[in-house]
Amino acid sequence: MSAVDTTTQNRNSSAIATLQYEKGRSNLSRSLGRLRRHRMALIGVGLIFFVFLFVLIGSLLIPESQSTFNMPARALQPPSAEYPFGTDVIGRDLLARVVYGGQISLFVGVTAVIVQMFVGTLIGLVSGYMGGVLDSVLMRFAEAMLSIPQLFLALIALRIFSDPTEFPDFTFMGRQYSATMIVIVFVIGLTSWMRVSRIVRSVVLSVKEQEYITSARSIGAGNMRIVLRHVLPNCFAPIMVSATLGVGSAILLEAYLGFLGLGVRNPTPTWGNIMGDANSYINQWYYWFFPAMFIMLTTLGINFLGDGLRDAFDPRSLR
Amino acid sequence: MTTYIIRRLLQAIPLLFIISFILFALTNSLGDPLAVFAESRQRPTAQAREEMRRRLGLDRPLLEQYVVWLIGNDWMLVDVQGNGMVMEPGTRQGVLRGDLGISFVTRRPAWTRIEERLPNTLTLMIPAYTITLILAVGIGVYSAIRQYTFVDNLITGASFFFYSMPIFFIALMTIYIFGVQFTKWDLPALPIGGTGDGSIGDLIVHMVMPIFCLVAIQLAAYVRFVRSSMLEVLGQDYIRTAHAKGLSEGRVVSRHALKNAALPLVTLVGLDLPFLLAGAVVTERIFAWPGMGRLFIESFERADVPVMMAILMLLCVMVVVFQILTDIVYTWFDPRIRF
Repeated sequence: MSAVDTTTQNRNSSAIATLQYEKGRSNLSRSLGRLRRHRMALIGVGLIFFVFLFVLIGSLLIPESQSTFNMPARALQPPSAEYPFGTDVIGRDLLARVVYGGQISLFVGVTAVIVQMFVGTLIGLVSGYMGGVLDSVLMRFAEAMLSIPQLFLALIALRIFSDPTEFPDFTFMGRQYSATMIVIVFVIGLTSWMRVSRIVRSVVLSVKEQEYITSARSIGAGNMRIVLRHVLPNCFAPIMVSATLGVGSAILLEAYLGFLGLGVRNPTPTWGNIMGDANSYINQWYYWFFPAMFIMLTTLGINFLGDGLRDAFDPRSLR
Repeated sequence: MTTYIIRRLLQAIPLLFIISFILFALTNSLGDPLAVFAESRQRPTAQAREEMRRRLGLDRPLLEQYVVWLIGNDWMLVDVQGNGMVMEPGTRQGVLRGDLGISFVTRRPAWTRIEERLPNTLTLMIPAYTITLILAVGIGVYSAIRQYTFVDNLITGASFFFYSMPIFFIALMTIYIFGVQFTKWDLPALPIGGTGDGSIGDLIVHMVMPIFCLVAIQLAAYVRFVRSSMLEVLGQDYIRTAHAKGLSEGRVVSRHALKNAALPLVTLVGLDLPFLLAGAVVTERIFAWPGMGRLFIESFERADVPVMMAILMLLCVMVVVFQILTDIVYTWFDPRIRF
């Protein structure tokens, strides 16, 4: 039994036909099969793959020092054979900055979503499974957090936790990073878990009264085992969908924060803080065009894939 | 129904207390608001600053500050020098009595700061939102009744495209093309920022680009929403019945489909409306538009806690109120839902 089967009554006839045809396969492989036939999702995967290759191969070809090496004499040069994306206001190679900034932006996007999913799932599971006072307290808290615009919340939290004396730069694998990079991961993750926890909670509520939970309990399974083995797997599909779309919003939020000059600090480049620097140089189109383009390609790919996943996991939406 | 409304209102009260406490705790951790005086020309002495800190209650524990913020301190004495020598009655009335506090920066009531900026934000956001809604319903319905045609695929693709686009990208591109390049090509260029010289005509010219960007970004999400809720309704049996009894296509769409598809849209609009007050932080920044978003960033950068709290609380109260209103309006529109 899973979320897919509990919706039997709502299925329309064509979906029933597809499901019968696919009988004998697991839900996951059925879903992946549907995903493979989803043209938009494939385009999405292609875009994400392209961006990944760009930041990966780019970092193999261009040394990291290139992204922080500045030479004011060559400031604000338009794209040329030597600097395909031009140079920024203090003469740093923008191609190198977009490559290395992209790594950070993608890293922030993915890890922030891991934090978000972990916290959201945990709170959703506890809230839905335990019920009672704990449930109402946690859900009121989630509601309160949801009423505050996320950008404002993130700005304030970021300011509180980005004191450079408390969070100094650190070096990892020979590269120097600003600690704001780690702070921003948690700020984005901890300001966006609320919707996930609501989704997980509603799945838990619908699952926990089912017979197989009762039978698991009657053969002596503890709460922990029931939650992890029998309840959590039902949340897989909605978590996957919101995690995928979440990466897109996390990258966008990082970009907005960086654009407002409050994101990850120097020396670490990100697409967002390159945009923030470029804000005053609208005339130099190459300064802002390339990072913004990569932000857009990434979120576009992620939204295509996320939409495809939603269709694939939810047979009701097959029309 | 009345009991339902009363219950919702009663539930909203603890929620607003939780929100206000979260916000109060966060904004008060932002750093020393008196730091702005350290760089001002008439730098107060250390003692004067200490007295100011005590008058503002910044030396007290957070919980006490929160209570003072809520109900004021005009009923108690403030020990200005910290040694019991000078006891002054407090001057604040508290948020519950309508006193949002004095801005640390301008030394005027926080509410006057909002009063100055809110009209600017609304002149930008209301037209932008209205245009978005009208276009979204038109395009979304058209797209849904021509599902999987070339035009529908084009619209769906374009809305994905704009939905994924960060607003600064489209804003910088429009400024670059219509502001910068048009001047170079000797075409009539649009102004790239500000609100103009005060005349209505000039204001409208300045509004063109920000509104274009806001509409382009918001429209995508709304078109997708209208299209999918329209498709959902068009698949219903009563639509087939309406067709079967010989109604014209236009009548089926406008009378039977759109009315039902508009219901979820009401919810979405109701939940989005309060956020218009927040303005568009990024858009206002790019176009140098003196609205609420800019005000928030300005007060944020100077740790002007009373103004930040005023903006955030105004927003959150509106969010909570609109959530209740949306639910009430929804039941009013949809006779199937009863409490």
